[in-house]
Amino acid sequence: MANVSVAAEWQLLYNRYYRKPELYPMRWKNIDLSRNKVACAPFGGPIAVIRDDSKIVQLYSESALRKLRIFTSSGVLISDTVWKNPGGRLIGMSWTEDQTLICIVQDGTVYRYNIHAEPIEPNVTLGKECFEQNVVECVFWGNGVVCLTEGGLLFCIPDFKVMRSCQLAETGAEDLPNCMAVIEPKYTVSGNVEVLVGIGDGILIVDEDGVQTVEGEVVQGPVQKMVVSWDGKYLAIFTHDGRILVTDINFKGVLLEYNCESALPPEQLAWCGLDSVLLYWDDTPLLMVGPRGDPVHYFYDEPLLLIPECDGVRILSNTSLEFLQRVPDSTVSIFKIGSTSPAALLYDALDHFDRRSAKADENLRLIQKSLPEAVEACIDAAGHEFDVSRQRTLLRAASYGQAFCSNFQRDRIQEMCKTLRVLNAVRDPEIGIPLSINQYKLLTPSVLIARLINAHRHLLALRISEYVGMNQEVVIMHWACSKITASLAIPDPALLEILLDKLKLCRGISYAAVAAHADKNGRRKLAAMLVEHEPRSSKQVPLLLSIGEEDTALMKATESGDTDLVYLVLFHIWQKKQPLEFFGMIQARPLPRDLFISYARCYKHEFLKDFFLSTGQLQEVAFLLWKESWELGKNPMASKGSPLHGPRIKLIDKAQNLFAETKEHTFESKAAEEHAKLLRIQHELEVSTKQAIFVDSSISDTIRTCIVLGNHRAAMKVKTEFKVSEKRWYWLKVFALATIRDWEALEKFSKEKRPPTGYRPFVEACVDADEKGEALKYIPKLADLRERAEAYARIGMAKEAADAASQAKDGELLGRLKLTFQQNAAASSLFDTLRDRLSFQGV
Amino acid sequence: MAQIPNLDNSPLNLKSLREQSQRDLVKILKDIRGKKCLVIEPKLGGTLSLIIQTSLLKEYGIELRHLSAESVETDCSKVVYLVPSQRDLMKCISSHVHDGISKGLQREYYIYFVPRREIQCERILEEEKVHHLITIGEYPLYVVPLDEDILSFELDLAYKQCQVDGDTGSLWHIAKAIHKLESTFGAIPNVRAKGKASVIVSDILDRMHTEEPMNSSDMALSEINTLILIDREVDMITPMCTQLTYEGLLDEVLRINNGSVELDSSIMGVQQEGKKMKVPLNSSDKLLKEIRDLNFEVVVQVLKQKATSMKQDYTEITSANQSVSELKDFVKKLNSLPEMTRHINLAQHLSTFTSKPSFLAKLDMEHTIIEASSYDICLEYIEEMIHKQEPLINVLRLLILFSVTNSGLPKKHFDYLRRELLHSYGFEHMATLYNLEKVGLLKKQETKSNWLTVKRALQLVVEDTDTANPNDIAYVFSGYAPLSIRLVHNAVLSGWRPMEEILKLLPGPHTETKRAGFTSSPSFATLQGGSNGLDKITDGRRSLVLVVFVGGVTFAEIAALRFLSAQEGMAYDLIIGTTKIVNGHSLVETLFDRLG
Repeated sequence: MANVSVAAEWQLLYNRYYRKPELYPMRWKNIDLSRNKVACAPFGGPIAVIRDDSKIVQLYSESALRKLRIFTSSGVLISDTVWKNPGGRLIGMSWTEDQTLICIVQDGTVYRYNIHAEPIEPNVTLGKECFEQNVVECVFWGNGVVCLTEGGLLFCIPDFKVMRSCQLAETGAEDLPNCMAVIEPKYTVSGNVEVLVGIGDGILIVDEDGVQTVEGEVVQGPVQKMVVSWDGKYLAIFTHDGRILVTDINFKGVLLEYNCESALPPEQLAWCGLDSVLLYWDDTPLLMVGPRGDPVHYFYDEPLLLIPECDGVRILSNTSLEFLQRVPDSTVSIFKIGSTSPAALLYDALDHFDRRSAKADENLRLIQKSLPEAVEACIDAAGHEFDVSRQRTLLRAASYGQAFCSNFQRDRIQEMCKTLRVLNAVRDPEIGIPLSINQYKLLTPSVLIARLINAHRHLLALRISEYVGMNQEVVIMHWACSKITASLAIPDPALLEILLDKLKLCRGISYAAVAAHADKNGRRKLAAMLVEHEPRSSKQVPLLLSIGEEDTALMKATESGDTDLVYLVLFHIWQKKQPLEFFGMIQARPLPRDLFISYARCYKHEFLKDFFLSTGQLQEVAFLLWKESWELGKNPMASKGSPLHGPRIKLIDKAQNLFAETKEHTFESKAAEEHAKLLRIQHELEVSTKQAIFVDSSISDTIRTCIVLGNHRAAMKVKTEFKVSEKRWYWLKVFALATIRDWEALEKFSKEKRPPTGYRPFVEACVDADEKGEALKYIPKLADLRERAEAYARIGMAKEAADAASQAKDGELLGRLKLTFQQNAAASSLFDTLRDRLSFQGV
Repeated sequence: MAQIPNLDNSPLNLKSLREQSQRDLVKILKDIRGKKCLVIEPKLGGTLSLIIQTSLLKEYGIELRHLSAESVETDCSKVVYLVPSQRDLMKCISSHVHDGISKGLQREYYIYFVPRREIQCERILEEEKVHHLITIGEYPLYVVPLDEDILSFELDLAYKQCQVDGDTGSLWHIAKAIHKLESTFGAIPNVRAKGKASVIVSDILDRMHTEEPMNSSDMALSEINTLILIDREVDMITPMCTQLTYEGLLDEVLRINNGSVELDSSIMGVQQEGKKMKVPLNSSDKLLKEIRDLNFEVVVQVLKQKATSMKQDYTEITSANQSVSELKDFVKKLNSLPEMTRHINLAQHLSTFTSKPSFLAKLDMEHTIIEASSYDICLEYIEEMIHKQEPLINVLRLLILFSVTNSGLPKKHFDYLRRELLHSYGFEHMATLYNLEKVGLLKKQETKSNWLTVKRALQLVVEDTDTANPNDIAYVFSGYAPLSIRLVHNAVLSGWRPMEEILKLLPGPHTETKRAGFTSSPSFATLQGGSNGLDKITDGRRSLVLVVFVGGVTFAEIAALRFLSAQEGMAYDLIIGTTKIVNGHSLVETLFDRLG
């Protein structure tokens, strides 16, 4: 049976099966791991290879200059570059989480490369001490590194994204440590990195703040090698007496102990998932030790490199890449020799079914009750397979079984198919990312897509993101930017065409961001063309400014209706250009112009004057000057009555002249002229009366003040000076006389001549002053009967009011007056009778 | 009673809107850790009182201050300014910061701009060399529910900024606010705009739709069916008239601010000398809800009736044996006693104004001007007002009414009146007159007035209005039907098309847009059963029309809209959006610009 051959490849370690399918035969040629320093990124990432300068190696037909080469996990060359960096020997090399290659050389300089072997500037140094003392060892973790110097100091870069180094506490020991291991910040209590240092006879825990010695029975005698499990919970230790120990990270209890009978520490020590530990010496078989039972030996005749993953270890040799993992439980249940689990029977049933054997049905009957779990196991096992045909068989078995299940989650198979399609696509040797399903889940699709983009696998990334229903914007955006960088030779219009073709795939994509990239790459014209397509003005306008398209920016900002954007452009141009050029740009554009004026009005008076002068709006300048004249008035230096009125009047004169320049503003010009005249007169009045009460009051008020002060001649003078109309004069004088309650003068005034206003002013003034007797002198003289009626009513003379109203034959008025006298019953009835009489007459 | 209006009966879920604003504010305050001094610009403070109780803020370790020129005295090391994005406030804040530095105070400064940070403000902070010392944030408060059916964008100066300064920032704000409403209540399929500013708002709104397209699923769920945008510029006549509804009159006499009036406590019958008190006015007050939109004449009668019936009940209670249920009814009525007293006091106060002959004369004059029959009488009246030096705003209101209905004054009269104004009130008012001229409210006559045509075509003057049982919106001005509301009424019923001829006679263009997303989406068509189905009443709720007044709306107009909405045969609920609730006084005031 086919099942046998599957399980035949497995090894048993205690009660667990292990397998190590080959992922790829390596496609590279002439790479000898033993001659090179090699850095492999986890999650099936790229492999960096550079000749090891700490070893003496024979040069074949190659240049003496070293080359840094970057391969995919399948050994396809992605990129290479010549290593010419100063700073001494290359001590440590590793990939970060976002797949940047970190190279640390002796003097503590950190060089960074992207996957395309392009250096990432700037280079960072670990510090002066490193430079002086030389780095001897580096321990990396996903996103940071700890370096040891010859002087025994520890330096750390806790985060490659920030690239800032710090020194850890000094151990104080004289010897250099035997070995080091790192507990990642995310697994420590403090949130800072902790370094386990095997030094002398014990282990120290070092972090930024201090050093701690590990107590306990576990550590007895010098430690030769240590490695922390990927989840930061366990520690594997190789002791001086050749034992391998596994302990809890807090050194509580020994979970595994095995005597390797080798005084030399292994060259490589690695966790395989969380279940077993691998030890590798270059001249003995690869040793796998589990918690119990005999260890497993694997024989190789090539140098190896162990690449730990979350669910196993990838074993890289010169010629192949294998994946050593514990066989998943579902797979065991199906393929274990002699397995009678429901899943195995289901798998078998499919085989029978394919061969049209009736046994298929028999098998199904046997497992009827546990059919759903059998289906589930087949699906799960399919997920763990790297072999496509076996994936297919397992899924077919699942789908065959599902047909007989009534209540099974139908989308499980579909989901798994989807996942497998993605995995198979990236596992293709050309792409070379051999992710297991567990790794894929841990990595998440979005990170996978980011990595594909990073490796310039845009089409695949786009397809995958579409397939798994993620936003394609990231991919298209990155593609567009990379395309621009890579297409120096393509002329702008052609490139624009190519870009637009793809950018339109994604709604809401930021054209401005792509344009900004084009601009950074020195393609300003392309940027201008791209930004034209950006629908969001708030993104478009700033970019237009940065590429020097001020005119377009101003236009777009204006079109958007967003005044804030217009201001953005205005300030930009204002700062950059000569005033006249600036004025020219805004003059013909109403919104920017008005906004500028509005801003300048409250903040840049002088500049605004320049603007109005340059655009010939003299009346506006005049208004500004006029306004200034008041400001001068408020100034305590120009206090009232002092000769400092001179400058004020001068300003107003200036304003008047400017108004006079255009004939539309004759009125304003005259007003300014009068204003200046008024100020002069008021000034004189203040001097002559020694009272500072005139300046800045109106002409009418000045007249009233004069009359109140009894200075009738001055009042008359103001009247004639400003040609005050007789009507206004009467109102003013009457009110002024009433204010000082000079009833005698009032009466005299009323008799001077027939008042042009009639006697209303006199009546009102008296009524307002509550002088009934005085009012009665004038009420009868009121020509209009209605007015007379109301005046009587106001001083409470109901009968007289009623008489007047009935004489005026105004029924409505009578009604209203009645309301006024509502409280007075007698008066009220009087109005009623009068009104009745009126309406009779009407009939 | 709370000043925060009760929004339970709103046709839109405005409560959620307000709660969002509350949460936003609280989040800002929580995110600044520790004790802090919150300095609020006073006007904004008034607005916030419609959203959150200030006492609640104290729970977050806050000392509350109002922004003024004086520097902030506090022990808190964190000073948080919450201010509208206005240039003039920046100098004040800068001087506070400088003052703090010169005193050697170690303080952290924050400015939260409402509704968003603006470059012109930050620029001033930069010039004052304090920008780097301040952490800047935003409090995106674009719209505030004033009542169940009123939303305010709180843009006091919108009219002046648009018309005088040409600064259309407020229009962007309005569009943004509407856009935000749409993101909550669904995109609005029909947009009708009249007036220059309205059309700009509609254009910006369209732009926002293309810049940030809404999902087609959002489109189908629109709660608001139609948006009508009316530019105040289209109808400057209505706000210049004295409002005669109860609430309108309260606003004219006492000035309603953020849904409350402040007045001497003696008016309210509380004997505390010289003390001011605040009286909230919103629909939480059931009696107010009943009478706010009635003509004031009627209000007096209604109150009188209620009082009498209560008195009767009272005598019955004391005289005869009553059953328990009758007692219960009586006590229930007693509950409304505080509301009764409140409004009787207010009405009493109002009638001291309305019974004055001068008030009646003014009303008479307003009607004479609107009738546009006796030019000379009006001119003389206004002239006399100036000679008597009556309050300038009163004069200007009538003068504007006069000028607008005549589409300007003959040059001779224009210059004469302006000269008389300057002589009587001072030359510093030249700037105000210049503003009025720029806006077109007081100008030289250049064309023949078409007011008569408009008045006749829209039946703006209605004879024999029965204010007690009105059958037309004209009751709100005792005989004049507000032009703006006539337009809205027509727009709601039939769109602009049938009245294009008249629209052309009024200032500004008009547009009518149907959002493309709706016509093309087949799902929408089937859902609504064609465009006619839009008007149908679904699940008992009526379709909603949002009427936005760009530049402000008066209480009288709101009353008229409510009247319309309550009419039989009206298939829509109306919600009103406005830059601010205004009246003739507040509008003219914004145009004041003293040179001195």
